[in-house]
Amino acid sequence: MAPQTPAVVMDNGTGYTKLGFAGNDSPSFVFPTAIATKSQGGGGGGSGSGRPAVANKPSFLTGGAGPGSHLSGKRGTEDLDFFIGDEALAASAGPGYGLHYPIRHGQIENWDDMERFWSNSIFKYLRVEPEDHYFLLTEPASQYHLNYSAPLNPPENRENTAEIFFESFNCAGLYIAVQAVLALAASWTSSKVQDRSLTGTVIDSGEGVTHVIPVAEGYVIGSSIKSIPIAGRDITYFVQSLLRDRGEPDSSLKTAERIKEEYCYVCPDVVKEFSRFDMEPAERFKQHTVTYPNGKSVTVDVGYERFLAPEIFFNPEIYSSDFLTPLPNIVDMTIQQSPIDVRRGLYKNIVLSGGSTLYRQFGRRLQRDIKHLVDERIAASERRSGGAKSGGLEVQVIEHKRQRHGPWFGGSLLGQTPEFRSYCHTKAEYDEYGPSIVRRFALLGGPGST
Amino acid sequence: MPVCHLEPLNPSEANCRQAYHSVFLDEPNQHLIGNFALLPLRTRTRGPALQLPPLPAGVTELTIDASSESYDPLDEVLQLFRANTFFRNFEIKGPADRVLIYGILYVSELITKIKPNMGRRDAEKAVMNSALDTNFAIPGDAGFPLNQAFEPPKDRNEAEVLRQYVGQMRQELAQRLLNRVYADGSNAPSKWWLSFTKRKFMGKAL
Ligand SMILES: Nc1ncnc2c1ncn2[C@@H]1O[C@H](COP(=O)(O)OP(=O)(O)OP(=O)(O)O)[C@@H](O)[C@H]1O
Ligand SMILES: [Mg+2]
Repeated sequence: MAPQTPAVVMDNGTGYTKLGFAGNDSPSFVFPTAIATKSQGGGGGGSGSGRPAVANKPSFLTGGAGPGSHLSGKRGTEDLDFFIGDEALAASAGPGYGLHYPIRHGQIENWDDMERFWSNSIFKYLRVEPEDHYFLLTEPASQYHLNYSAPLNPPENRENTAEIFFESFNCAGLYIAVQAVLALAASWTSSKVQDRSLTGTVIDSGEGVTHVIPVAEGYVIGSSIKSIPIAGRDITYFVQSLLRDRGEPDSSLKTAERIKEEYCYVCPDVVKEFSRFDMEPAERFKQHTVTYPNGKSVTVDVGYERFLAPEIFFNPEIYSSDFLTPLPNIVDMTIQQSPIDVRRGLYKNIVLSGGSTLYRQFGRRLQRDIKHLVDERIAASERRSGGAKSGGLEVQVIEHKRQRHGPWFGGSLLGQTPEFRSYCHTKAEYDEYGPSIVRRFALLGGPGST
Repeated sequence: MPVCHLEPLNPSEANCRQAYHSVFLDEPNQHLIGNFALLPLRTRTRGPALQLPPLPAGVTELTIDASSESYDPLDEVLQLFRANTFFRNFEIKGPADRVLIYGILYVSELITKIKPNMGRRDAEKAVMNSALDTNFAIPGDAGFPLNQAFEPPKDRNEAEVLRQYVGQMRQELAQRLLNRVYADGSNAPSKWWLSFTKRKFMGKAL
């Protein structure tokens, strides 16, 4: 085995998978976490096949041999008849293939599909021999959305993952890191971050959910994690509804998503922003051209959605009738429910991560609103205690250049450190101790490492 | 009180964002009928409303600021209309908020009278037709949609004064709305304003 091969870093999100090599600034591949498999017959099916999902019956619990042979014995057979990523979307548009998303709310739900997805990621996209590489994978910290004090990723998930990587792929070494911890490490590139601390509050907002995850010295405070059911997909739907209200010539989801990503920003105050559009229409209103494969094109006017769309983080009521709590309040509650001795560090280092945190002025507005909540609480307690002044509390929201793929980039940073390999479990260790070895990993980038 | 469904006992609840309120809530010496405030208006229509000075030189209906002595509750209605129609929950904090609510709901109604291809003159006919019609419901009438939150006038005399005041609001709002919807001088209505026809502030319509 060549000692100098870079670690492979894989961040499999609900919406998108980020693939690449440690030490790089950005992932080599970003594509939908989607797989297209033959819809019926031929035994090559996806979720409908006769093989039980590994999650239901892990082979290490059935005595080792079991159904755990996975793809290794089958490579080159009917299992190759599938596509992943953008190719999967294309294949499923035609006949014969069904489209599946093996990850839901950040958790792997279909292990057969996921194994195929990984296999293609490694052999077809990255084109590496797994026995020559160490792998850094990511896992979410929480399992359920909707504000549920969620348990951590169940240990069986890690063991299933280890089984696939060591037994099917024969990889050299494996490390599984928590996405939020990696997102904190990614923020070390910001000039605002002075000490490379692994204490902070991560706001990770992607396609499906928005998580608020407090981390103290590299360990997720699982009982305080919160999630809100508002993320990228909802913002796209909201843009679409505004386009429809105006009868724009193209109000497809695809166009709504493009408009969202290109034109939207967070404003300080909605009413003032409406009057800006009245006063400076030429600068504020935009036009977006959609060109179709047949060469025709239409022009879509872009207006109030520019600031209204991301406003749903701060005023969910304008979009949702059953979820009404603004994101700044959720962040504040999360920190208030964390142990008192880490709260100061959690307010001081609020780190953004994921595609839906990229709106201009998102961090600034979040910081202002959280600060407002904190200051009000302090003022109230000062009144109660008869005027005794408290020192105040620093609230800082960190935006940085690697926010888009925060967990992947954090993995890239940590995966290139000289000690990375010593934190991994190796194939030899796996063979000796079995899958349960991956229940624990030493904290990468934590105290004592560089 | 609009409810935050999440962990209702948390102090953060108090800060749930909500729709915008009237800046006239704290206005001294308000003339009330029921719990509706007959606030001074900047209008030449005839009726019981006290008169505010006309717009100062260099200030327009678009640029007037709440600090101006000419600023009236109808300026506010048109400023808050687009933001507030996104909200279903609204906690009424005082009589001036009822003026705001009525004004916003009436603007919603007016907007439905303006069709996408109407020139200004036709639109003016359509909205003035509605604004000059004296057959509308006031608080206490059976057809008034917000009787749980609006008290009826005490007697017929009060009812008549309230009706005349609301009539002034309606006529003045119709004129000012036209100025906004036809602000760009193209003689075509703003599709941005017309896009609000489907939204209902507080889920209500007059
Ligand atoms: N510049 C941008 N501005 C706003 N939104 C953006 C931008 N770029 C991407 N997005 C949105 O970010 C989302 C994808 O983000 P990300 O890749 O972090 O999600 P994910 O990791 O796949 O999903 P999850 O974290 O929910 O498992 C999509 O909704 C996309 O539209
Ligand atoms: Mg993600």
